[in-house]
Amino acid sequence: MKKLNNTLIIGIGNNTRQDDGLGWNFLELLEKEGYNTDNLVYKYQLMVEDSELISEFSPVIFIDACKTELKRGFSFEHIYPAEEVSFSTHSVPPNQILNLCKTIYGKTPNTYLLKIQGYNWNIEVGLSKQAKTNLKHAFLYFTKNFNEQLIQ
Amino acid sequence: MNTRKIIIDPITRVEGHGKVTIRLDEKGMVSNAFFHIVEFRGFEKFLQGHPYWEAPVLVQRLCGICPVSHHLAAAKAIDQLVGIDPENLSPTATKLRKLLHFAQVFQSHALHFFYLASPDLLFGIDAPAEKRNIVAVAAENRELAKKGILMRKFGQEMIKALAGKKIHGILAVPGGVHKTFTAEERAYFLDGMLIPNIDTMIAWSKEMVDFIKAYQLKNANWVDNFAAFPSNHLGLVHNETGAFELYDGRLRSVDFEGNELLNIEDVDYREHFKEAVEPWSFLKFPYMTKYGRENGWNRVGPLARLNTCAFMSMPLAEKERQIFKDYTQNKPNNMTMHTHWARLIELLYCAEAMKELLLDDSLMAHDLVRIGEPRQKGIGIIEAPRGTLIHEYHTDEKGLITKCNLIVSTTHNNEAMNRGVREVAKNVLNNKPEITEPMLNQIEIAIRAYDPCLSCATHALGEMPLIVQLEDCYGNLIDEKIK
Repeated sequence: MKKLNNTLIIGIGNNTRQDDGLGWNFLELLEKEGYNTDNLVYKYQLMVEDSELISEFSPVIFIDACKTELKRGFSFEHIYPAEEVSFSTHSVPPNQILNLCKTIYGKTPNTYLLKIQGYNWNIEVGLSKQAKTNLKHAFLYFTKNFNEQLIQ
Repeated sequence: MNTRKIIIDPITRVEGHGKVTIRLDEKGMVSNAFFHIVEFRGFEKFLQGHPYWEAPVLVQRLCGICPVSHHLAAAKAIDQLVGIDPENLSPTATKLRKLLHFAQVFQSHALHFFYLASPDLLFGIDAPAEKRNIVAVAAENRELAKKGILMRKFGQEMIKALAGKKIHGILAVPGGVHKTFTAEERAYFLDGMLIPNIDTMIAWSKEMVDFIKAYQLKNANWVDNFAAFPSNHLGLVHNETGAFELYDGRLRSVDFEGNELLNIEDVDYREHFKEAVEPWSFLKFPYMTKYGRENGWNRVGPLARLNTCAFMSMPLAEKERQIFKDYTQNKPNNMTMHTHWARLIELLYCAEAMKELLLDDSLMAHDLVRIGEPRQKGIGIIEAPRGTLIHEYHTDEKGLITKCNLIVSTTHNNEAMNRGVREVAKNVLNNKPEITEPMLNQIEIAIRAYDPCLSCATHALGEMPLIVQLEDCYGNLIDEKIK
């Protein structure tokens, strides 16, 4: 068992909407690699209360499907608390959750956003062929570059 | 005659996607206003052909905020398909379902008050847009924000304990429930070791009721008059006593003065209700057949429930209900913004009701499922957080769904929301041909009081923004705001 200690990894999406399941599929790959599931969280969307959840961890990694074109099919970036407010009960962006975490709990965990490009979003289980390729590349990059940092 | 039209699209801090159109006449006065629902989903259609036992699972996908309500309304209907009426369900199954339902209403009301309504109440309707949000509330009142988050968390943890997941979990099966409650699960909510316990939830709920009463005192003129209008009110009440009910009872409607219009077995709703359609909205307009489309519509939800019940069975909530009723000399309360007050009294009720159930040892018994003589029609009616929710299913001899009808809370409130928009539009927009931010917000506040879930109501799919447009008498767009 690879213990994630104080690392929290949040997969955002819905695996019944084709490539919107990329975030969850990424977590499933981590599970298969033997990472402890306690620190892997599946979310349909982020909500205000997730600010409390992430306040207990650092680093925090959000993984989400992305509609915009990404050069390598994925991108991995450091994110910071949002300056501007954007909120609905159906979606709160990760940097807004960070903003709330800082405002309410006085904490700013070291936070990253892994975006993986998707292509199809209809009601169907299963990723598109290109999304599967992007997932594979993103996973290889992630485990190669962050494995040691995550399980320290 | 020359008229102009204002359209608000999207409306923020509302669940779903809608649009407001305001038409002005040649003198710049509001001639009409419409709250359109512009999304369509068609859940009733694609349930057809599925086995009946799938319904309580599938219908949860209508909504990420109140999936439990859809789950339980469908479950109550499906019980009947296996020959079990509510009174024949095992006591343990009934209590577990009620505990799940109270947890759902508790977390949904906490979400609405803290995340959606509190910015309007704390900062006022004229506050700048960048301030009217949960982040600003958190910045100015960190403790309030923490309590809001923990109250919602309590409800969601309870849902997870009972149904396996916070969203789209499963507890109910045809004729009962599939799991009981364990001593460990119960201790989690009572001992306060890992999360604030149920007594803390009751105390915080009482604080919220005190907050809204103090707000009411300070802002009575605005709160009493904003988007207020007389209406009928519909809600479930206890079969024998007429007490406040959320899970099962009779359907009761009273008019704006308290005269009883309807008091029927819930399963007889078909004989007493019809749904009208308008070409400008996917949301239907239910009304009581006897009183017609113009006079037979109801408000539903917290305000309506407090107007239709005789009393509340939980002591602290009942005390607060009496104070609420005293405000209108025991007559129905038709003041739209008092819905927030009523909602917080319900929050307190749910906290007390959860405690009563948590202390009941029979919650951990094992008589979970009962089966009777199969039938081919089932009707489940429940009080969802936003109001009366109706599910009806018909099956063929193989148990496949042949027909389905869903009337959700927001649909009942359709006429009321449209009247609310019209009232506010007349007050804030007459002689003002442009849409200002405070105007926009006032229209949204009138809608938000009903906590509408537009995605539930139309059973909508896709992204969730909500648009105001100003139109002249020829339908020409002269101003538009998108938030």
